[in-house]
Amino acid sequence: MEYPKNHRKIVDELMNGKFILPIEQHYEVLKENEEFYADFFKVSFNYDLKFTQHYAYLVSDESAEMLSRDMCIFFALLSYELDRDGKNFLERIQYTEFELDEIENYFANSSYIDLILSNKQLKDTDARKNFINTLNRRNIVEKIGDNRILFTSAHKFFMDFAADIVKFENVNE
Amino acid sequence: MKAEPRTVLRFLLEYFDIIKDLFDTQTKDNIITYEVMNEITSKHKMDVKIQLLEYKIISNVAENYQFRPVFASLIEFILSEFKPMLPETIEKYHVSIGELFRKIRENINGDKVILNQRITELSNEINNFYESVEKNTLALLNETRELKANVKKVDYREKIIRASRWIDEYIIPLNKILDLNHSTSLTTKLYEVSEYTNRYRLNFDDESTRIQFEKLYFSLIQVNDNLLRQSKILTNELLPLIERIRTESIILTGWINFLKAPHKKKVPKILESKRNYIYSKDTFFNAAEFFDAFKNDVDVFIEDEEYEDEKWIFDKQLYKDKLKDNLPVTDFFKWCNKTLKEDYKKVEIEKFFALTSLAFDDDLQLEYPVKAEFDKIKINDLTLTVPKITINNHGIS
Repeated sequence: MEYPKNHRKIVDELMNGKFILPIEQHYEVLKENEEFYADFFKVSFNYDLKFTQHYAYLVSDESAEMLSRDMCIFFALLSYELDRDGKNFLERIQYTEFELDEIENYFANSSYIDLILSNKQLKDTDARKNFINTLNRRNIVEKIGDNRILFTSAHKFFMDFAADIVKFENVNE
Repeated sequence: MKAEPRTVLRFLLEYFDIIKDLFDTQTKDNIITYEVMNEITSKHKMDVKIQLLEYKIISNVAENYQFRPVFASLIEFILSEFKPMLPETIEKYHVSIGELFRKIRENINGDKVILNQRITELSNEINNFYESVEKNTLALLNETRELKANVKKVDYREKIIRASRWIDEYIIPLNKILDLNHSTSLTTKLYEVSEYTNRYRLNFDDESTRIQFEKLYFSLIQVNDNLLRQSKILTNELLPLIERIRTESIILTGWINFLKAPHKKKVPKILESKRNYIYSKDTFFNAAEFFDAFKNDVDVFIEDEEYEDEKWIFDKQLYKDKLKDNLPVTDFFKWCNKTLKEDYKKVEIEKFFALTSLAFDDDLQLEYPVKAEFDKIKINDLTLTVPKITINNHGIS
């Protein structure tokens, strides 16, 4: 049987919890073979392939819940602090680079300081640096040099989650 | 009593500050209450209530007041402060324009005076329609930009409600009115009128009617162009801007809600990245896969290396005996070199060192000169500086 091009890369990255992005060559391969890969992951591992115009990734019940929660807290705090600072948070996260110092400043001076201090991955500068490396490994941020980052289109995954909170609340109300 | 026009205009100019305050109140509350009227006139220390009524700028509504529509429109226009109109209000032009157009077509050969009057009124209705659209677009743009800047600190939930209302109740219906691809839209109707007018402006027996058609035709060209521009503003600028406000507000409301109890909310599923532990059940298969990758199916033959020279083994006893036979040896190192040269064509340094190790034999007695003397010995390319050692006897003397 002949497998699609970049098969191993696609499988490796998705199985490692990485987001595959439209700017990457193997996203196109995945797009062209979406049905095959959806079946492949379902039959082989019982994982669901989620494919959108902004990212592709795998969903399973073996979820890294702690990490996902920390990521949500990170995005929630950053969005909140940017908005409080009078910035269009969505445009900033979507289109512009961040200096790590800027993010550091938002977290260090946040009114959610109790929540930050109680979180192992976000509690101090070193922890936050490591956390950003984790985001980088998952393809959620792109590192530009040592001191700058750019959020990839995978950030929409978390923004959609935030929007769903409001939608589901309205449904339940 | 009818006021003199210049007096009315002069009054508007002179008391414009009060008029503007009253107009703002009406825009906000839809009415100017008796109390507010008194409050505003007292603030400006000018009681102009009587003139406002006399010049028919405002009218009484029970005990309260309201601007007459013509003055409301004038002030609104001067200030460029329009309030968005519901598209239903604009949609009424569909009926009036459609009806006038139908009557023109049906009675094209009828009374010329009435025909000309209908053409003029059709032209007015079309201009009124365009003005309503322009005012509405402008009003919606102003409101949207203000909401984006959020000077009034509107909370996120209210922003979502407002943005959704504007999209659903104003922008999308207005876009439908302007949609050229929609056969029943007003803009499509105007193109139909335009084609008809074009035909009769060139081909009609009565000259005055031809001129009326001509005027209407050129007015329609302008209006259609302007409507297209308004439609572009709506779809390219206003709609994305307001959609963005709505999306941002929804997301931020969601995050604020999440941050209230971040450990109680369900979070999205993120795949756990796998680490391979040595005791994992997959280790055997991973290792098998690894070895498979390096498995070489081609037969490999390894040939034994052939050594040209056999390895030399130092026969200590043989050389010890040779040394004993030659005793006394006045220069031990020279003797070693000479002996090896007699036995072998080529003397390697290893052989030389092996032979010199006899000097450490306990059976041999070494003698050194009082003053240290050195000799040079050449072995192949190597020149060694060695001390002069004499061996006279063997065994413990």
